Amino acid sequence: MSDTTSKLQQIRHYLGVGALAALVIGIAPTAMARDGLSILNAKCKSCHLPDDKTPLTADKKLVRISDQRKTPEGWLANIGRMQVMWGVKITDQDRRDLVKYLADKQGLAPSETEGFRYAMERRLNTTSENFEPLFAEMCARCHSGARFALQRKPAEEWSRLVHFHLGRFPSLEYQMMGRDRDWFGIALKEVVPALAKAYPLESQAWSDWQKQRPAANTLAGEWSFSGHLPGKGDVAGVMTVKNTENDQFKVEVKGQYADGGAFNGEGSAVLYNGYEWRGNIKMGNDTLRQVFAAVNGEMRGRMFDKTHDERGLDFAAAQKGAAPRLLAVQPGYIKAGQEAEVSIIGSGLTGAPSFGNGVQVVAVVAQTPERLTVRVKAAADAADGLRAVSVGSISGGSLAVFKNVAEVKVVPAFSVARIGGNGGATPKMEGRFDAEGWGQGADGKPFRIGVFPAKWSVEPFNDQAKEDQDLKFAGVMDAASGIFTPGDAGPNPARKMSTNNTGNLKVVANVNAAGQALKGEAQLIVTVQRWNNPPLP
Amino acid sequence: MKHLKAINNKAQKLEQAAAEDRIEEVVAMSSVAGCSTTTDPGWEIDAFGGVASLCQPMEADLAGCADPCWWPAQLPDLMTTYPRWYKNGGDSAKDWRELGSVFPDDK
Repeated sequence: MSDTTSKLQQIRHYLGVGALAALVIGIAPTAMARDGLSILNAKCKSCHLPDDKTPLTADKKLVRISDQRKTPEGWLANIGRMQVMWGVKITDQDRRDLVKYLADKQGLAPSETEGFRYAMERRLNTTSENFEPLFAEMCARCHSGARFALQRKPAEEWSRLVHFHLGRFPSLEYQMMGRDRDWFGIALKEVVPALAKAYPLESQAWSDWQKQRPAANTLAGEWSFSGHLPGKGDVAGVMTVKNTENDQFKVEVKGQYADGGAFNGEGSAVLYNGYEWRGNIKMGNDTLRQVFAAVNGEMRGRMFDKTHDERGLDFAAAQKGAAPRLLAVQPGYIKAGQEAEVSIIGSGLTGAPSFGNGVQVVAVVAQTPERLTVRVKAAADAADGLRAVSVGSISGGSLAVFKNVAEVKVVPAFSVARIGGNGGATPKMEGRFDAEGWGQGADGKPFRIGVFPAKWSVEPFNDQAKEDQDLKFAGVMDAASGIFTPGDAGPNPARKMSTNNTGNLKVVANVNAAGQALKGEAQLIVTVQRWNNPPLP
Repeated sequence: MKHLKAINNKAQKLEQAAAEDRIEEVVAMSSVAGCSTTTDPGWEIDAFGGVASLCQPMEADLAGCADPCWWPAQLPDLMTTYPRWYKNGGDSAKDWRELGSVFPDDK
């Protein structure tokens, strides 16, 4: 049978089941599912033909699409690719509904995203990808490891992905790690089976999650949250969540930074696959995106500026009425011999606070179930180290006690900022830093004390950077906040060969930690724009 | 390298790195997720962990570099996917502001 005949038969076959499909669709559980399925059929089926091997149902398997599981961002990237490469015409609303449908039906279990959430959370300065060389050399050398580690497919589909790469990006054959080995042979014979084994289509975690994923309305209510924004500080407050319809929410955020600044906003959110929480919260002139995993009465993830994803805060929230939880101690350190006010953030905080050996509660300043503020005093002879903090029977936080700060670490230790602006299409991507104090415990092991205020500056990283005057061109560090604003985009005639305003800089934090003068350093690469910026890097 | 002779600065530096047995160091340099490290040179960071040996200003050879899809994760590839990305790119020093990010965002 020729291919054409086969395809015609498949099309006829599909048309024949149309009426039956409509009946089955009629009893689909939610409006969203029906919409998603009809969009899938209208937009995708003309190329992705129904698979003849599967049973005759309304959501009959479609070639390629059905044998994949992905995150919401993965499906969004997928549909975006179809728009760009194959000219698929789809409205924004249809695309959102289709992403929702596919992410719900063919998503990942929470445990399957562990270790790779940084990509969805747009933590683009992540350097801790540790893949076996097979994956690092084949895949993660051009794009993030999360790109493939957040997908699940059978070997046949992984194999098609290899062919797609070669067909689409043929120059990979003569790049380093392509030209110097039999990469195509390695890709098909070694990498594909390894991917199919590490990231298989079927998994126990996924089948378990489909059975146990909770209804969206279980997330409705109030959530106590804590967070930390580099360049600004700790934040805490309450997020109120109303389930409007299906998996849609109205969200109100009311919080305060440690310096007294407001952290208030309103917006909406969508829940994908029972736990992937994606919100958009309007705060002043900015829209902050929420990318959280909502599992077991807890939301964890990152909130970041939609147009500047480098501006973001770690976020953790505990649902009121769920199991009591201790989220954070702010600030999380005290110097031996001193008295200070600290707050414990969480939910259901009832009972007496305890800060461990050598730390005494002087007075309870204020107490609500979400926030307990106390004055504590650390004994002059209290041993350096971390204390487990608890409230009644609820534990989970820690307080660092120190006599000396042994070392200041600038985090991130290595990061990238990008030039931008100057009339171009991409904004400047800032560098944002924190100065972490580290102590040495009584056991001799280093422990993280916490973030200290610092006086920030930049220097040339090496002789080359000095010679090229990177310091003069690459951008400006704000001395108080540790926020680095890169230089303007475009060729710069004032530089050698009109090169861009890039640079290799050393970030320096001068910290005065309760009388001790210390210095921490990090490397900052100020580089060029990224022009291809998909949902997963 | 027996039959090849380095004739420019960049090549001489690479030769020097090889002579000092620093090649491993170059391959294993630190990078952030999503940065291209083994396209030579990388897009964000060069083989020495800096920016001095990159193809910069990036506008200079942009069409020449994006055409064979050299950094497909960082740049629109002109060869297959985005042949019109650089449609007015006759003078990139002047026209670079016309370049845009390519992922079709929600409007």
